[in-house]
Amino acid sequence: MTRKTPGTGWIRYWPRLLFAIPLTAILWVPSYNRIEPSLGGIPFFYWYQLAWILLGAAIVFVVYTIETRITGTTARSKTGPETTAPPGDVL
Amino acid sequence: MNLDLVATTVFVLLFLFVTWLGFVAAHWRKADLNVLHEWGLGGRRFGTVVTWFLLGGDLYTAYTFIAVPALVFGKGAMGFFAIPYTILIYPILYLMFPRLWAIAHAKGHVTAADFVRDRFGSRMLALAVAVTGIVATMPYIALQLVGMEVVIGALGFPAGGFVGHLPLIIAFIVLAAFTYTSGLRAPALIAIVKDTLIFVTIFAAVVIIPERLGGYGAIFASVPPEKLLLAPPAEGSLGSYSAYATLALGSALSLFLYPHSMTGILSASNGDVIRRNATMLSAYSFILGLIALLGYMAVAAGVDKDPAFAAGFTEYGANFAVPALFLSSFSSWFVGVAFAAIAIGALVPAAIMSIACANLFTRNLYKEFMRADCTEADEARMAKIVSLVVKIGAVVFILAIPQDYAIQLQLLGGIWMIQLLPPIVLGLYTRGFNPIALLLGWIAGTAIGTYMAATQGFASSVYPLAIFGVTVPGYAALYSVVINLIVAVVLSPLFDLVARRGATSAAR
Repeated sequence: MTRKTPGTGWIRYWPRLLFAIPLTAILWVPSYNRIEPSLGGIPFFYWYQLAWILLGAAIVFVVYTIETRITGTTARSKTGPETTAPPGDVL
Repeated sequence: MNLDLVATTVFVLLFLFVTWLGFVAAHWRKADLNVLHEWGLGGRRFGTVVTWFLLGGDLYTAYTFIAVPALVFGKGAMGFFAIPYTILIYPILYLMFPRLWAIAHAKGHVTAADFVRDRFGSRMLALAVAVTGIVATMPYIALQLVGMEVVIGALGFPAGGFVGHLPLIIAFIVLAAFTYTSGLRAPALIAIVKDTLIFVTIFAAVVIIPERLGGYGAIFASVPPEKLLLAPPAEGSLGSYSAYATLALGSALSLFLYPHSMTGILSASNGDVIRRNATMLSAYSFILGLIALLGYMAVAAGVDKDPAFAAGFTEYGANFAVPALFLSSFSSWFVGVAFAAIAIGALVPAAIMSIACANLFTRNLYKEFMRADCTEADEARMAKIVSLVVKIGAVVFILAIPQDYAIQLQLLGGIWMIQLLPPIVLGLYTRGFNPIALLLGWIAGTAIGTYMAATQGFASSVYPLAIFGVTVPGYAALYSVVINLIVAVVLSPLFDLVARRGATSAAR
């Protein structure tokens, strides 16, 4: 497994700062407690929060991708004691 | 209500199918089920897909499917806090739990209390973790039965009396039997069926029902305007805003501390499985969002005003909203599918919760305090028996005690559960905390959280905290865990100092 050498200390965990985005957006309740702009008859309060489910998932996916592909943070977990399952064992 | 024969037949057939599946599961990835981590954690071999089904089936319970839309049906926008909650849980899962998995795997921990025992070297702290987990999970199992009871009643079985409870008792005997034989493999396999049925039901519901009611615009237009949004806070208070936000955050923080979540996480085959699932599980969150909207569909359909459902609403309250909506919108056979989805949706978490309680009892009470020399086979045998006892307890609970108590206990359970946040989450990153300080923090948090709920008559977990003249109504769990954390942080260096003094004077 050839990867870029993982950075040291907390720096390599920087992508996780992205989690502050959904946290702020969703806990800042007054910002979305309104009817307009409604979407196809669905008030803003409802479609906005439903949309954040998808955005939240996208952010987790982005963090995961950066950590596996670029910073190599999770690379350790693949070579460490965790590899008990046969490779490619998805099911 | 008369018994709906078509719906009941479909319901019973699906139920028989999962029963068979539950027993067959013992042979799935065959291993020696007389070892606790094989019986109680499925041998820690579940990959991304199975873990997705298992955690989805575990966290999105039958009670959720009934209670969340019931809350939206009854209280409107406030009931929607389940959505921000479900958005927040995945960053938390991603940040903390792959690490917990790695440590637990390396050290052979089966429960959260095993982990805390090892990290802080304290039997008492581990005992606190184990007891909290068991006590908070018991009413939760009982509430799964409530979900099941509502759909069985909605099929037209007579309510009340021994005959009325018979279907429930049979379902639980079946559940107890296959959990005993197959362990965690049974709910893992059944979860695949359950989730498929739920997905089919909900997609049908969000397409068919709005069409009959004249579209989403018409549905929202029929909801009373004061229910549609959170009430704007009065002067000098953060009102519903802080309540909404803290309920979401507090529930999200406590979710993965629950024993059944922990069991689901520890059964994964590696940390990457958990990270991937932090993205993929959002599919269930989206489904939950749609399920919440069923509450408004029930309002728009006017099911509570339909004389055919009057008896159901009298018996089950707002929890009858979704079954009534399905009965009025679907043809009989699909009602059978939908109700089976909910009932099977109760089996999966109930099985995992009872396994989790059994693991905790066996590892952290029985082995720790009663029989330190017990063999692996003794351990597994004990856990199997405890899983039976837990389920009998849940049935007795729901039949003998008014349902309101189960709901109040579950509400308290959330407050008690979050108190494990300091020992478990701090334990992930440092051993530097003193176990006595953590234990005192746990006592303080549990006491204050319980007190806060008591001031609300155990009817609500939102406590109106006054800070500098501003009232900030918020989730008691979140407030009390902050106190827990402060106690732990402040007292830890003190107790360390005392311990060091003691050590030096003993050495002299």
